[in-house]
Amino acid sequence: MTALELVSLLTQAIYVLIFVLVTWTALRRRTRTSVDIALFFGAIATAIVESRIVTTFGLSQVELITDIVTLLVIAMPYLLLRLVDDFSDVPAVVSRLAEAGVVLSAIAFVVTVGTVPPPILIAIVVYFAALSTYCAVAFVRAGRRSAGVTRRRLQAVAAGTVLLGVAILVAGFAPLLPASLAGLPTGLTQVLALASAIAYLIGFAPPQILRRAWQEPELRSFLRRAASLPRMPDTRSIVHALQDGAGSTLGARAAIGLFDPETNTLRFQDPHGVLPSEIGQSDYLAWRVFETQHAEYYPDAARAHPALASAYRTRGVRSLLIAPISAANQRLGALEAYTDHQPVFSEDDLDLVRLLADQAAVILESRALIDEAARVQAHEEAARLKEDFISAAAHDLKTPLTTLVAQAQFLERRAETQPSAPADLPGLQRIVREGRRLSALVLELLDASRLEQGKLVGEREPVDLVELARDVARRDSYEGRQITVVADAPVVGSYDPRRIGQVLENLVENAVKYSPEESEVRIVIAHRNGEAFIDVTDRGIGIPAGDLPQIFQRFHRGTNVDDRRFAGMGLGLFICKGIVEQHGGRVSVESREGAGSTFKVVLPMETER
Amino acid sequence: MVDDDPSIVAVVSDILIAEGHEVVSAENGAEALMKANGEALVLLDMRMPVLDGWGFAREFRASGKRSPIVVMTAAENARRWAEEIGAEGYLAKPFEIDALIAAVERYATGRH
Repeated sequence: MTALELVSLLTQAIYVLIFVLVTWTALRRRTRTSVDIALFFGAIATAIVESRIVTTFGLSQVELITDIVTLLVIAMPYLLLRLVDDFSDVPAVVSRLAEAGVVLSAIAFVVTVGTVPPPILIAIVVYFAALSTYCAVAFVRAGRRSAGVTRRRLQAVAAGTVLLGVAILVAGFAPLLPASLAGLPTGLTQVLALASAIAYLIGFAPPQILRRAWQEPELRSFLRRAASLPRMPDTRSIVHALQDGAGSTLGARAAIGLFDPETNTLRFQDPHGVLPSEIGQSDYLAWRVFETQHAEYYPDAARAHPALASAYRTRGVRSLLIAPISAANQRLGALEAYTDHQPVFSEDDLDLVRLLADQAAVILESRALIDEAARVQAHEEAARLKEDFISAAAHDLKTPLTTLVAQAQFLERRAETQPSAPADLPGLQRIVREGRRLSALVLELLDASRLEQGKLVGEREPVDLVELARDVARRDSYEGRQITVVADAPVVGSYDPRRIGQVLENLVENAVKYSPEESEVRIVIAHRNGEAFIDVTDRGIGIPAGDLPQIFQRFHRGTNVDDRRFAGMGLGLFICKGIVEQHGGRVSVESREGAGSTFKVVLPMETER
Repeated sequence: MVDDDPSIVAVVSDILIAEGHEVVSAENGAEALMKANGEALVLLDMRMPVLDGWGFAREFRASGKRSPIVVMTAAENARRWAEEIGAEGYLAKPFEIDALIAAVERYATGRH
């Protein structure tokens, strides 16, 4: 046996082997694609076996069998076209033309009883070549469009088709070569045919080991990123990253549905917009898998769930791989990989999709734990802030109380020991002043507490802010300072007059407190675009730039601030901000150290209740 | 006595003067360091602007002065703070007038 004969035998053996393999697959799980693959290789295998039997045993050719084989060979490009249609989409007109071509060729062959006249033969050959080329191009293009394993399989199929085409061409041109080179094309044809057989085997029926090898790099990169996924900003981005990772590993689109116990549904965020955003009981196969907690491979979704066949069809979902995502006894959701073409997945991919779903469960569970930890931390932080606030408040209340207690006891003692002594007027004034201070602090604390409950602002009524500001300016609590109110016309809105008056008074008090005795404090009121603007300006010490961002906060303390230096509640501006915001307005401040400050209040003039 | 609250300074001064003591007052640690001149006792508030009780105590001791210190604070950890700065005693605000007088009698040096 020559080397050439050996190659030829090997090629034929491989084709027969592929036929056996794909037939076995088709028998196990009968889908259109598996049947198409089996038919295609069945045609090749029949032709091979027939010629092998004839040459080996030197039998004279039985005409009927030869005819059947020839017809099968003529049908091959059409069978290949069906496979193209399984992997991507073939326009209906092309399919019809191919069918017509097969039928016409067969008729021509049968009518002429094997001796086809040359023009018709040429037509058949052209048809054969055109269809094969179309298939090769279609496979290449489908390969470009897909990803991962699917891409590689389609590339192999495309290569197989091209190689087979070239082999046929070489064989076709062989008779044109001089006799001395006759062996060359035969050998080349055999080698090309062998390569094409291997490419087809890889593409149509890739052994599990090869699938795994293809999936490994994608799986690896997915697992490498997995550890960092739980720390992504939110669950939504985690789900998206998981979907991308699972999709590229499986060479398909993937979507994760998270179980929402409140609505009893799976909520999907399919970036491709194919799957519905919510899947509830008795809907879709994903729910079935979620309920049974068993991963499933549905080569034909429409057939697996006939009631929803049209829904799957319109959404372009042909075959599905679904695995439940669960951690411990908790059902978190389902991972669904889908494709609009059947042959992308195989039974073996079930293991992979289970692995990916388990990985997703680990990541989502980690995220839940991180969220839980953050909640606990936030809760502790809130408790700590409250405690700090109470402690700061107690400190501030104790300061006037110290004077009150000591001064009162001192006066009492004096009255006992020196009954005839004149009244200690400065001491009495101190008691009155510190008593007022204490009551102001208590009111401030109450306001802050009401503010937190959102109960600070009471009944609203039409209020002229200009008139209100003039009232506030006339109050005698500013160490006798003159307060100027500047306004062109009344500015009327619906406000709680007591609270807005409190805001103005507080801002004016601050302005007075932090500015020189003779300097001007000015309130400017205006309105435009349905908003009222109140500016309270002083020419005082101003506020350091570093303090500006925190000036309206009730209690701010960076970790680098020595808590022993923290003193004073500073509730005034915090309460002002709260009152204004509960009116739907906003506050801000502009200040330059040493040059003065302007506190700006903006209130809506049409306030909705 | 050192305290940034003028009312407290006023009433404590009145009480101690009535008891026959002399009182030098300062409204923060820096002023107190300048005025310190071998007093029999320092009544020290802790939270003050410019220089607080901790800063005052450190520099006061560093300059070799040995007057006893009694911490006077409205904070809850008066005792711990007193220990921190090595003060002789402490008074938690608000205090009874008798407690103030007793503390002064007990810790002031050069008096019996």
